[in-house]
Amino acid sequence: MDIFIQQILNGLSIASVITLIAVGVTLIFGLTGIINFAHGEFLMIGSIVTWLAVSNGLPFPPALFLAVVAVAAMGFALERGLFRFTLERPTNGFIVSLGLIVVLQHIVVLLWDPNQKSIPRPLSTVWDVGGVRVASVRMMVILVTIAVVALTFVMITRSRYGRALRASVEDRDTAALMGIPVRRYITGVFVFGSALAGLGGALLIALFPVTPFTGGTMVMKGFAVALIGGLGNLTGAVVAGLILGIVEGFSAGYGLSEWTDAYSFGLMILVLLFRPHGLFGGTSGPKMS
Amino acid sequence: MIRLVSALRSLLPVLVVVALIVMVPLLSPSNRFLSLAISAGINIIALYGLSVLFGQTGILSMGHAALVGVGAYTATILSRDFDIGFWLSLPLAGVTAALVATIIGIPSLRVSGHHFVIMTFAFGQLLAIVLTNGGDFTGAATGLDLLRPVALFGADLGDLTRYYLLVVGFVALSAVASWAIINSSYGRTLRAIRENEKLAASLGIDVGRQKIGAFVVSGVFAGVSGVLLAYFLRHISPGQFSSFPSIYLALMVMIGGARLLLGPLAGGILVAFLPELLKLDPVESRILYGVCLIAVILLLPNGLIAGVIDGWRKLFSRRADKAERNASAPLSETSR
Repeated sequence: MDIFIQQILNGLSIASVITLIAVGVTLIFGLTGIINFAHGEFLMIGSIVTWLAVSNGLPFPPALFLAVVAVAAMGFALERGLFRFTLERPTNGFIVSLGLIVVLQHIVVLLWDPNQKSIPRPLSTVWDVGGVRVASVRMMVILVTIAVVALTFVMITRSRYGRALRASVEDRDTAALMGIPVRRYITGVFVFGSALAGLGGALLIALFPVTPFTGGTMVMKGFAVALIGGLGNLTGAVVAGLILGIVEGFSAGYGLSEWTDAYSFGLMILVLLFRPHGLFGGTSGPKMS
Repeated sequence: MIRLVSALRSLLPVLVVVALIVMVPLLSPSNRFLSLAISAGINIIALYGLSVLFGQTGILSMGHAALVGVGAYTATILSRDFDIGFWLSLPLAGVTAALVATIIGIPSLRVSGHHFVIMTFAFGQLLAIVLTNGGDFTGAATGLDLLRPVALFGADLGDLTRYYLLVVGFVALSAVASWAIINSSYGRTLRAIRENEKLAASLGIDVGRQKIGAFVVSGVFAGVSGVLLAYFLRHISPGQFSSFPSIYLALMVMIGGARLLLGPLAGGILVAFLPELLKLDPVESRILYGVCLIAVILLLPNGLIAGVIDGWRKLFSRRADKAERNASAPLSETSR
């Protein structure tokens, strides 16, 4: 039982990072219809920025902040420079993002090297709660994720901007007629999603060493979670992230760790087969006129 | 008759290119050049399959490298466990890859658009995981060796020049096969699905079945290319066939232009030799591929060759006015 809780906790901390990706993916897709497969590389860049900052003597919190800002800025540049030209043809956006994967991965290899990069754990305390060893760094990751996702949720459901955002997902043209600057919202959502990826990257490198190729697996899991929850559905993404964390925790705890990666993909394939819009229903992207 | 002549004309440029390629060994190229050319050729065979799927039917698969892997592993395991050589494993690997394509295709093609792409991506990754966890049967992460020689009528095809000619033969074969598909009624059916799925369905085309059919056809090409790859590299491992190599395949076919018969040939050759010409190291050349892909998609959505042809036409026939350009709308693009 102790091992079980232990593994669930470990699973959840990784699932937190994946949920951050999934929330970004789901939001970006929901409003813009862009399938950004390079989202995992955004995450990896976040990790690299954190690594650079920490190895240059910065403490972890400002390094994390720096990673978020840097990846958000990168997201802004890429949306303005590339993705906005593909809004009318989402498949092209998807292919562009495939090209971006290759470019970003190898730029990092070119500037540094393809090896693992790690930082010393920002929090090294391990609590002992009734026989379960709770690493504080894992708790930190889980709590930060909960806070950020909750904040995102409140912003989207309660705030004026969130309402305008949802209106422009519903009907882009009418929203524009009502005076909502839809174009700017699209950029805004893309930048916000990128910032989440930057945050995820900073949290990831606090848990594990990161290589320039980490993004590939992570983005697949992020997409798996987003699709299982239903693309465009924020709640769905969070619930699916939770499910995946528990499933992966289980499998690691009961000696099937080499198949861990297979579960998310298998689960995703099953869900797409029987409920193509995800377990909780999603949007099919923005409605094009 | 006129149709046949115009169809044959579209095959001509490819045959000319292949004829030029066959002469390459006369220039006594270096071993490195030949190796590059062989791997380019092996890719091109797989790309012809992908162009039937993506160019004709409009379905983008990220599991193509996985199907190449199925071919490669089939050939290797057949040679190891059943003592079956190159020539017999070609059809067997083609059939196995087609079978796997059916297994992947039937569920995947229930969903469309980017869902399908993501699904095939997941299948590609799953295959790599299965191969890695397959124990001694698949050789786990280190992969398998294949040391059996390739012989034709008693002549050993082991040396690079002969293997090169063998691969060029298969490239020509797959180009002709792809040309036959494009110019058949089957090809027209696939293009109808690409242009308007609902319309195609309302004309009585069983869209689901035809799409799976196209996927299976692309699988046969991939399987054959896998056998050639296994016998060329002599060692295969799971990482070669995950979803990321599929990205490179998609990239090559798009840089060349998926709808043109010359596209896969151009894409494969360009991606193999451009870095060599520019003297780039592998990392830099990967970055170049990515940038090329993005540039091609944003600036020349029909691929490099189609872009060059368009540019040529604009430059040299001023009178090619709107009417003519409208006439050569998407459907006829393939038969240029």
